[in-house]
Amino acid sequence: MIKGYAGRILEVDLADRSFAFKPLDEDIARLYLGGKGYGTRLLYDMTEPGIDPLGPENPLIFATGPLNGSLAPQSNRFAVVCKSPLTGGIGSAACGGSFAYGLKKAGIDILVLRHQSATPLRLEINGDRDIVDFLDASELWGKGTNATQVALGKGRNHAVIGPAGENLVLYAGIVSDERIAGRTGVGAVMGSKRLKAISVTGTRKLDMEDENKFKDYTKWLRQLFRDHPVLGEKLRRYGTMGIVNTTNARNIIPTHNFKYGHHDDAMNVSGEYLEDHGLVGVKSSCIHCPVACGRDVTLEGVGRVKGPEYETAALLGPNLDIPDLRWVNEWNYLADDLGMDSISLGATLSFAMELQERGLLQSGLAFGDPTGIGEMIQDIAHRRGLGSDLADGVKRVSEKYGGKAFAMHVKGLELSAYDPRGSFAQGVEYATTNRGGCHVQGASMYFESTGPLTINPQNLKLKAEIPVVQQNLACAINSMVLCIFTTYGLIPKAVHQMNPNGFLHRTIALLFENSGPFYRLVSGLKLMPLLWYEKWLTYITGEKFTSGRLQEIGERIFNLERMYNLREGLTGKDDTLPDRILHESTFPHLRSGHPLDQLLPRYYKIRGWDEHGVPLPRTLARLQVRL
Amino acid sequence: MSITVDLTYDLAKTLGIRRFEIEAPATLQDVLRLTRARFEGEDAAFEKLTRVTGFVVNGVLISHGRGMETPLKEKDRVSFLKAAAGG
Ligand code: SF4
Repeated sequence: MIKGYAGRILEVDLADRSFAFKPLDEDIARLYLGGKGYGTRLLYDMTEPGIDPLGPENPLIFATGPLNGSLAPQSNRFAVVCKSPLTGGIGSAACGGSFAYGLKKAGIDILVLRHQSATPLRLEINGDRDIVDFLDASELWGKGTNATQVALGKGRNHAVIGPAGENLVLYAGIVSDERIAGRTGVGAVMGSKRLKAISVTGTRKLDMEDENKFKDYTKWLRQLFRDHPVLGEKLRRYGTMGIVNTTNARNIIPTHNFKYGHHDDAMNVSGEYLEDHGLVGVKSSCIHCPVACGRDVTLEGVGRVKGPEYETAALLGPNLDIPDLRWVNEWNYLADDLGMDSISLGATLSFAMELQERGLLQSGLAFGDPTGIGEMIQDIAHRRGLGSDLADGVKRVSEKYGGKAFAMHVKGLELSAYDPRGSFAQGVEYATTNRGGCHVQGASMYFESTGPLTINPQNLKLKAEIPVVQQNLACAINSMVLCIFTTYGLIPKAVHQMNPNGFLHRTIALLFENSGPFYRLVSGLKLMPLLWYEKWLTYITGEKFTSGRLQEIGERIFNLERMYNLREGLTGKDDTLPDRILHESTFPHLRSGHPLDQLLPRYYKIRGWDEHGVPLPRTLARLQVRL
Repeated sequence: MSITVDLTYDLAKTLGIRRFEIEAPATLQDVLRLTRARFEGEDAAFEKLTRVTGFVVNGVLISHGRGMETPLKEKDRVSFLKAAAGG
């Protein structure tokens, strides 16, 4: 077995309560790494087209990669893959916490859960004794994710669902410690299996090709990250909410259901404001991560809890016209404890508010008014009254009540908190990402709207190229499995210290913006390892990794996801953006919204797809994507 | 009508205001000068808080347009900007 892998897949049948350890396929590991890549390959091979995402045929796959179980910073995350009940296409989400570490210590690369239990169940996996216990979870059923994990106790690593998952909220997530695999409804799939929790334990050691080189390099890199202006300073000091004032200034923070990109009081939900108002602690929330982007806040009646992330702060703050940290903290806690994706939740609530504003729905929710929101979040998680409709997400609510023009989703997945009208590459990324409108499948906005060196985000230059390279890289990162925030380290410290109004800054940005084919060429070079990703993989596995090979692996995964979506009935027509984003301008100098129609053909061409967004046979052959 | 100047968090905290208005037309040099003036001679503090800080006019980073020459007119919104990363 290639080093860095445990070499085992644990397959559990929840219907007949059986399990089997199977060998990891080395060829698949070479082609797809692990994590999301390996998981997608398994999903494609294991399932027939057209299965019900909430039916017994939909497997729920927890996948680690070769970097999990190591002490590499930001490396203890796992991927969850299944058919998404929210989009009908590929379902995938990544999560921090400690579960990935636990799985690897148990000697399990991938855990596949098949079929459904008839009654509430939890699993206890002991990787040292190779035992899986199937235990009754009736007493845990209905409990929040916090109480569930407390009841399960310390000393093992858990992945659990809350009431939202139990009640099949289509954007329910799976929680490990205080982190959530939030997107695409993976928690609803776990709920459909009546599986409340998985606990894992083991003491196996990760076998590496060159442990000394790995250790030395990681030590050096930890220091580099510690000194890095984003990884070591800003993220650590302000958390992800440290970006609020930047997106607000750039006019891309969702406000009033994405009607505007700026809110006069957005500062009230910023990381800086939190530091001065109610921050009680800074922490990692993901095992072994020195970046520590997690925050702690205090909630009346509850105590110390994990604070919100940027996405939550924006979508439950300015997006609802309620930029008030007290409310955001409370609703964030509710979403986490009930076990649901706060991005989809925020976008669904703002959609319900706009429906109310336009007289299309009596939701009882109004922009700028916190009244009833906490209760509605509970109703959504328990599928009570109107909450049951809102539990199905923006797309389905718009099909029932109208308002498609301002239904903020792509492929059924609610948009993240970067308005693409001020970030054209991010818009292409939203439109084309296989799991739907999400920002962490590439994070293109960092290179055009938020980072220290940004190209002009509102012309056509490089706006198709950046998403391709970034989506490929993100696919590879989600298959190692690393945190996507590692990409923030790509821009060195010196660039962060440049005057953004100065000549040098402008010149470099212009050069980058006009680098087109050269940029793609350099990204695809297969000469040697350039970044930490390739070096780590080389030291761990003993295989030669280069940036080009990583791009190719990422591209392969992206194309396989694409083929899965096509197989499940999605088409190029789903590569679009909400009407509001395409046609309404939020910038005084622009008449319209995002120019997707001008960028999509170029994006398809670079990808080696036809004009309908279908990968060409030669593209699939080059990438060795077997169907 | 006037031009709105949005401050960064640190500038706002130091000055006790989040934004102020200036008369149109104006230039970015005017914005700098008038913000500096609010520091009442504490130039070092002003320099420190505006180090590696960009300008955004109506959501557009000025280095993507006419740089410090960007003209400001009525109803424009100017923001001091720090780069950041979130998730
Ligand atoms: S940077 Fe934040 S999200 Fe990423 S691994 Fe570290 S603590 Fe987790």
